[in-house]
Amino acid sequence: MRDARLVSKRFSLENSHTLKVAKENGVYDEALKRAYSLEPLEIIEIIKQSGLRGKGGGGAPAGDKWELMPQDDDKPSFLAVNCDESEPGTFKDRQIISKDPHLLIEGILITCRAIKARHAYIYIRGEYKQFQDILQSAIDEAYADGLLKECDITIHRGAGAYICGEKSALLESMEGKRGHPRLKPKQKECEWYFGNPTLVNNVETIASVPYIIEHGAEGYREYGTEKSPGTMLFAMSGHVKNPGVYEVEFGTGMLDYIEHFGGGILDDKKLKAVIPGGASTDILTADEVKVAKLDYESMRSIGSALGTGGMIVMDEDTNMVEALKNLLEFYHEESCGQCTPCREGTGWSNKLVGKILDGKGSSEDIDKLLEISDTMNGKTICVFAPAVSSVINSFIKKFRDEFEAYNKEALI
Amino acid sequence: MSLIKVTVDDKTYEVENGSLLIDLLIQEDVHVPYFCYHKALGADGNCRMCMVEIEGQKRPQIACDTPVKDGMIVYSKGNKLPIKKIRKDILELELINHPVDCPVCDQAGECSLQEYYMEYGLHESHMYGLEKVLLRKKIDIGSNVLLDQERCVLCARCTRFTDKITHTHELGIVGRGDEACVTVMPGRRLDNPYAMNVVDLCPVGALTSKDFRFVQRVWFLDSNESVCTGCAKNCSIYIDHNKLKYQDEKIYRFRPRENKDVNGFFICDEGRLSYKKLFEDRVLNSSHVNEKDIIKSSIEKASNIAILVGASLFNEEIEMVKEFAHKISASLYCPQDIYIDEEFEDDMLRSKYKVANIKTIQNMGIKDSLPKAYDLVINFDHPSVVHVDAKEIISFQTYKNDLESTLTIPIASYVEKSGSFTNIDGVTQHVDKVIECDKKTKTISEWFERLEL
Repeated sequence: MRDARLVSKRFSLENSHTLKVAKENGVYDEALKRAYSLEPLEIIEIIKQSGLRGKGGGGAPAGDKWELMPQDDDKPSFLAVNCDESEPGTFKDRQIISKDPHLLIEGILITCRAIKARHAYIYIRGEYKQFQDILQSAIDEAYADGLLKECDITIHRGAGAYICGEKSALLESMEGKRGHPRLKPKQKECEWYFGNPTLVNNVETIASVPYIIEHGAEGYREYGTEKSPGTMLFAMSGHVKNPGVYEVEFGTGMLDYIEHFGGGILDDKKLKAVIPGGASTDILTADEVKVAKLDYESMRSIGSALGTGGMIVMDEDTNMVEALKNLLEFYHEESCGQCTPCREGTGWSNKLVGKILDGKGSSEDIDKLLEISDTMNGKTICVFAPAVSSVINSFIKKFRDEFEAYNKEALI
Repeated sequence: MSLIKVTVDDKTYEVENGSLLIDLLIQEDVHVPYFCYHKALGADGNCRMCMVEIEGQKRPQIACDTPVKDGMIVYSKGNKLPIKKIRKDILELELINHPVDCPVCDQAGECSLQEYYMEYGLHESHMYGLEKVLLRKKIDIGSNVLLDQERCVLCARCTRFTDKITHTHELGIVGRGDEACVTVMPGRRLDNPYAMNVVDLCPVGALTSKDFRFVQRVWFLDSNESVCTGCAKNCSIYIDHNKLKYQDEKIYRFRPRENKDVNGFFICDEGRLSYKKLFEDRVLNSSHVNEKDIIKSSIEKASNIAILVGASLFNEEIEMVKEFAHKISASLYCPQDIYIDEEFEDDMLRSKYKVANIKTIQNMGIKDSLPKAYDLVINFDHPSVVHVDAKEIISFQTYKNDLESTLTIPIASYVEKSGSFTNIDGVTQHVDKVIECDKKTKTISEWFERLEL
């Protein structure tokens, strides 16, 4: 497996979060110089050519999103960097802001130049206080060094709601309202912050920009696959020997990744399942993990999604009913409560799995779970409910016997 | 404005490009269930009940957030998609944490949730062995409004009303997931002149009116169209009333009636509660039985007569009084000051003239005051005592006042007769008789006939 550290190359340096170390190791240098010699539209073109995809979970081409920002508008444009990182199993953005915050600031400077924004907001989840402090001191250093003449950077601290990672809910929250996702526009358009054109991108997406500008689209495309070019910070947690965040190029085999970086399963047990891209993606069985490759297309072809790249590894002793209950408790807690199917469906399915765990369930309850998950799928404003729906579906379809084993009749 | 063609269930309609699909469905009586949508508040898209199938879309779409496009083909009951089942499933989710206490709920009979259950649900509960989410019940949030958080479907109509219409922001939704609930903001009360409209907006029994709650079951009420006469705006309303055995006909409430030319969708609380005063302080009997002789002799012996006309009368009645004044060569006047309350006026609906028909008085150029004293003043429902300088007063009036009249004759209130009012913006509305009046009380025209005037 070749070294593909484009974003994480300075993570292991001592004091990598300081401006001095960052500058000595190439931040605010070639990439920024090149960006300032380019016209905004030229930068967007390079990002488009590079095929950079949003790393917050959806994987939409970043360049297409940048292109939706008006270049000549009376209203001011804004960049909102999504650092709400609240998907269970995902902890890559916090590595960037704590290990290499200046890379993010450099990315913000380049992005703001491309979309003609004079002010960038970093929406950070409230629980990330210690990482926020590191990021803030990096921003302060950058201000003191005169780097932030072209645009301002403000950190906006969230109050810890999962749904505020959804881009429109994030903007609602930034506007001081309840973090409720907005109704989707009928045509392709940018996001709006207080009625002003705004681009929302994940931390890692923005942190990938400097490399692309420095090395060009082709340089980035040397890594990864045709449709998923470049690299991604994949996180690994659960029953592995070395959990953590490791950057690899797209297309790497999932099992190779787990074995190479994770050092295999804890206590050398057998692998049972992996939730591949943060909690909200379909769970993969051990057999599926063997063929799974870490890129958007391969993951889709085996019926799951790459998501945020945060893998939760489960060994052979994992109780899948308890695992689902754990996830559903999270979703029940975090549903914003706006749309009926999600508001009521998350709670009901959580209670039903609890009932099954208590040994009071029946096959009808399992079928009812599938029915509720069907009602939650595709009938709400945002993709929260469809994600919960696919989690429930994949757990029950792949491990139904474990659920049936809890039934009243089975326990007698 | 360009018209386009939209097909709904094999019927083609011409509608304005970009208008909302749900408006078309409502207008054309194509049945579609919904909680959160309201014409005055726009689409919020949270209840997910108004799902329809649109050709070319693989998923069901909510009609409230779908602008119509030319050539759009809509199946309100579904073609490839099981729309009825989808609505049923979403409704079931709406009901799982609902207390289903319809027998003791004041909204029963006019509750959307109850209606849709009868239409789509009709299933047994699947919640056996599971506990419902318990929230607060019977919270007095102010302005005669009681909140029951458990019955709420979180359509957010009430919060959007206080945000978008009154801009007073008293109500909000707090909490997440199934613990989310409507509440008043910390340290506040629902307190604005239009607050009680949230009771009408609430599609379920979460917000009920203290004034109406437990007073009548709605299925025992008759509803008639009328207007509110609390001020010169003449907001369109429904009057809900009934006559129970051995009891007098009674009015229980006023509700706003949609009328885009007058009040839009709402009425103010003062107007809403003005029904209570309709039967208070009424003049019930003539002060003398021989009304005809007294009036005849008074008119004959008076050398100069003035007629005081009230702005609470119908256009037709004011006209009639004017003709009568002409016939007996009397001067006609109507002091307007007494009706004015500057503080009452606002930029929404309320007018400073706290009487229904001031516009007609102004349009007809009826004088505001009279310069001299008169032998006889005949009053037709004007409340004024200030400018009456007369040797003798004969007064036709609905309500008691301080006039020292030789003769007082009771006349019907506006709900007991038919006629028309012209509001301050010049919109004339016809009002039908809603309830029968007492035998001794008559309308002005009936009195004119009887007294041969």
